[in-house]
Formats: sequence, C-alpha cells, structure tokens
Amino acid sequence: MPNIKLQSSDGEIFTVDFEIAKSSVTIKTMVEDLGLEDEDEEIVPLPNVNSAILRKVIQWATYHKDDPPPPEDDENKEKRTDDISSWDADFLKVDQGTLFELILAANYLDIKGLLDVTCKTVANMIKGKSPEEIRKTFNIKNDFTQAEEEQVRKENEWCEEK
Amino acid sequence: MTDNHYIHKKRSNVLTRVFLEDEALINKKLPKELLLRIFSYLDVTSLCRCAQVSKAWNVLALDGSNWSRIDLFNFQTDVEGPVLENISRRCGGFLRQILLKGCLSLTDNSLRILAQHCNNIEDINLNMCKKLTDTTAQALSKHCNKLQRVDLGSCSAITDLSLKALADGCSHLTHVNISWCANITESGVIALARGCRKLESFTSMGCVQLTNEAVGVLASHCSNLSAINLHGCTNLQDAAVLSLAEHCPNLLYLCLSLCSQLTDASLIVLAQRCHQLHTLEVACCSQFTDTGFQALARNCRLLAKLDLEECVLITDATLIHLALGCPRLEKLSLSHCELITDEGVRQLGTSPCAAEHLTVLDLDNCPLITDASLDHLISCHNLQRIELFDCQLITRIGIRRLRNFLPNIKVHAYFAPATPPPSATNARTRYCRCCVLL
Repeated sequence: MPNIKLQSSDGEIFTVDFEIAKSSVTIKTMVEDLGLEDEDEEIVPLPNVNSAILRKVIQWATYHKDDPPPPEDDENKEKRTDDISSWDADFLKVDQGTLFELILAANYLDIKGLLDVTCKTVANMIKGKSPEEIRKTFNIKNDFTQAEEEQVRKENEWCEEK
Repeated sequence: MTDNHYIHKKRSNVLTRVFLEDEALINKKLPKELLLRIFSYLDVTSLCRCAQVSKAWNVLALDGSNWSRIDLFNFQTDVEGPVLENISRRCGGFLRQILLKGCLSLTDNSLRILAQHCNNIEDINLNMCKKLTDTTAQALSKHCNKLQRVDLGSCSAITDLSLKALADGCSHLTHVNISWCANITESGVIALARGCRKLESFTSMGCVQLTNEAVGVLASHCSNLSAINLHGCTNLQDAAVLSLAEHCPNLLYLCLSLCSQLTDASLIVLAQRCHQLHTLEVACCSQFTDTGFQALARNCRLLAKLDLEECVLITDATLIHLALGCPRLEKLSLSHCELITDEGVRQLGTSPCAAEHLTVLDLDNCPLITDASLDHLISCHNLQRIELFDCQLITRIGIRRLRNFLPNIKVHAYFAPATPPPSATNARTRYCRCCVLL
C-alpha cells in the first residue's frame, strides 16, 4: 500500500505516500485497525482538519519523512526552544490563526514532531516579553482590576531582575 | 444627536464587539491542555509574566504542572519566604524537584510550608541556605517520604539530628550531600547509613569529624554506593578505604583529597576490589608513592580522571604505569608533583591510548619539566588544555612549537615580564601603585 487517500473536513482528497502519512500516529492506527493496508481505494476521513491546514501538514511531514522519531517527553529534561531548524522556522512564518490550527491538527493527528515545533514557536512568541507585550502579541484583554493587577505584580516580581 | 453621529456610534460599537470577540484567538482556539503544553516550554520568569497577563492566563501559568521542576538558583537573593510559600501552594503535589541553592534568606518556616504542601518532592537542593537548621530536615522527613536527593551542603547549622531525621523518614534517599556541615559526626552518618540503604552517592567534603567507623558502617550498609566524596575528612585512615573497597565494588567516583593520613595500602586495596573506578581524586595524599599507583594502574583500567596534585612522592614511574595500564585517561593533574621529569611525560605522551583520549593535563609547578615535555605531547591530538604555571624551564618557543601541532590547545602559563633595562632612570614609575606602596 504505497499511497493513501486523506479527506479533509471540506471534502478535498489528498493522495499521500503511506510512509509519510504514517508519521501521524492517528492515521497509522486507523489504517491498521481498519485493516486498510491492502486497500487502494479506501479514503480516510479527517473531519477535524481543513484542506489548507492538511496541505501544510503533509508538506511538513514530507520534508521530515526521514527524520528519526522524536524523543519521548522527558520531564527531567529542561525544554529548549532555541533548536528550531531554519526550514521549520520558515515553514511556520504564518499568521497566528494558521499556527494555532497547525497545533490543533498536530495534536489531533498525533504528530509529535510537528506539535513540539509549533508549541515551541508560540513559546518563543511569549519569552522575553513583558505582560503588556504578551497581551498585545495575542490580543488578550487585561481583565484584572487595578487592585488585582497590583497584587499579581507583587506576587511575581521576585523573578524580575532588580 | 444627528443620524450621522448615531450611525457612527453604532458602527463603532459593532466594531468593538467584533474586536472583543475576535481578541485572544489563542484562548479561543486552543484548549487548556495545549496551552499548558506551550507553557511547558517557558522558563520561570516567562511563567511569572504570563501570570500577570489576564485572569485566565494567571490560572494557566500557575498550574502546578508547569512547576514540577523549579530552579531558583538565578533568583537566589530575591527568593524570600513569601515567594517560596506561594510556590509551595501553587505546586502542591506536582513539585518533584526544587533547587534552592544559594537562597540565603530562606528559613525553616518556609521550608516547613514547602514540605507540608509538596509531599512528592524527590530532589531538593538547599546548598548554602545557611539559615536552615535541623527543623528543616525534620519537616522533610515527616512530609516528603519520596525524597531521593538532598543537598544540604554548607547548611552549616545542621547537626546529626538532621541525618537521623532523614534516616527515619526518607528511606529512598540515593544522593546525599552534607559537605561543610562541620557539626556532623560519625553518629549522624551511621544513622543515615542504617536508614537509607539505597544510597548511591555520598558527599561529605570537609566533615572533619567523620571517622573510619562512620565510613565503615556507610560502606557495609550501602553497597550500591558508586560515588563518594570524602574530600578533607582529615581523620580518615586506610581502614576507611579498606571498608569502602570491601563493600562497594561498584565505586565509579572516589575523592580522598586532603585525607593525608592515607598510605599506599589504600591504593592497593582499591586496585584489588574496585575495578570500575572511573575517577579518583587524591590531591595532597602526600604519602602515596609509585608502588600504590602501580597497583592501581594495573587493575583499574577504566580510570579516566585522576587528580594527583601534590602527591609529592610520585616519580616518572607512576606515569609509566598509567601510560601502560590506563588507556582511557582523559584528565590528569600532576600539579606540584615536583619529581616528574620530561621522561615521564614522554611515556605518557607516546602511549598510544593516553594520546587518544587525553584532553586535560595539569603540569603546573612541576619544576623539572622542559620544552622537551611539550614536544612529547604533540601526538595527543585530543589535548585541549595544558597547565604550565610556574614551570620555570618552559619557554614561549616550546609553547609555540606545541601550538603548531595542536592549534586549538589552551595553554595556561605565565611569564614574568622581562627585567627593565638598568639604563631606565625612572624605573620606580614603572611599578604599579600597590607595588609602590610596598
């Protein structure tokens, strides 16, 4: 079964090399559970991913098809965010809406490498910013009262350099 | 109010509403678990700033799952009681590791609150938290039974009571550091050894009251020990090393520096029993001789790091044995080994195996070595650093020659400035101000 057909939520059908599609644990499991390995015409529906995002995901998985499997999450290890490859960085120069959709798709399709790199990208959008800058970056409304804001500021000021 | 104005106002209301609904795409799109996944990549400072962004982000940023491992070393002077108490409450059972090294102002009371809230701590570093007393260890003993690693180094107020408490409550301890806790005596260490049989690493630098008996009980009860640092436990004698060698065959790391009562008998028994030894530090064990190191080199073939600083009796013979017996040698300190000559360095430098792995070589204060030694090292292509301070016979030319072969090597040497020519009349003004004062 060299190819597999994936159907996006808006009905578009993508024909993908099964080896590439397998980087999605969700698709791999579905194919195995449904015994689709020997079918050529079976279509795997992906109701949670639209065609624009699915196209991006396939592009990412194709580029990374020969990567070694990503390491398991190790909570003992400090998580780095400065190790995003330049290809990935370029690939993820997208608007926030697309970036968040990619996170959702990577999570739903269970593609750990893509989930890691997209989450790191968002973390990098937060790092080094003041609370006000973070609000601006993500359009978040400050819903603290003045008194509350002062209190959370006080509670957290120890982490700031004096 | 004109119609125009009304329309304008209405439109701006609509715009505001759209804008409000549209705000925080991130919150609208991503469920909590994925936001937390993003937050898991954030450092402590970023998390504290996220906590100030909005009410929803406050809850997310302070979610205990982000705080299972906390290293406050960079904030040490700012970490006062209330900060740790807040962290304790927000982390609760999530907290597994907390590194508070150097947080000098922390008191027993804050640590008690931490222990009460965070029962699942496995690793706590309290090094240099000098205000802490036995009360802290007692709180850990009572509430944190899963503790595996505890560092109480330089908590100089603690006594044997701390070790007894840990022995009672924390039987899973594998790593203990009580360096520079000068009040600790053999009874504390014996209690610890009896209560914590799983110990793998024990560090007690400068615990001058430690005895042979204490080390003996430690060794016989904790046979999993693989790393022991007894630096400066000056009362120890060969009997202590004998027990270690007898009971702890898996020793990988051993530091006996400044235990100057030890003799070759220690090295010989280590050679007989501890064949896994990877690192041995015996600086200032001034009774060790070539005989001891001969035995060691013949049997401990995995030795990679060896600190022989001020083992003043050793000669080139030791280097010959190391060159033959220890093919993995990476770091070797021969500082102040004043009998070493070019011949010893030649043996080392030409042994094919040492040449393969050797990365650091300390030869400072070896007064007999000359540029010929450096010539013997040119084939050590992994050599990254060499110490040559106070090697009076080493010249700039010799170093330059070595650099031709090993261009990236770091050479630490010092050459006194040439004596100013006597013709200079105002010679005094050449001295720096402090010299003038003298």
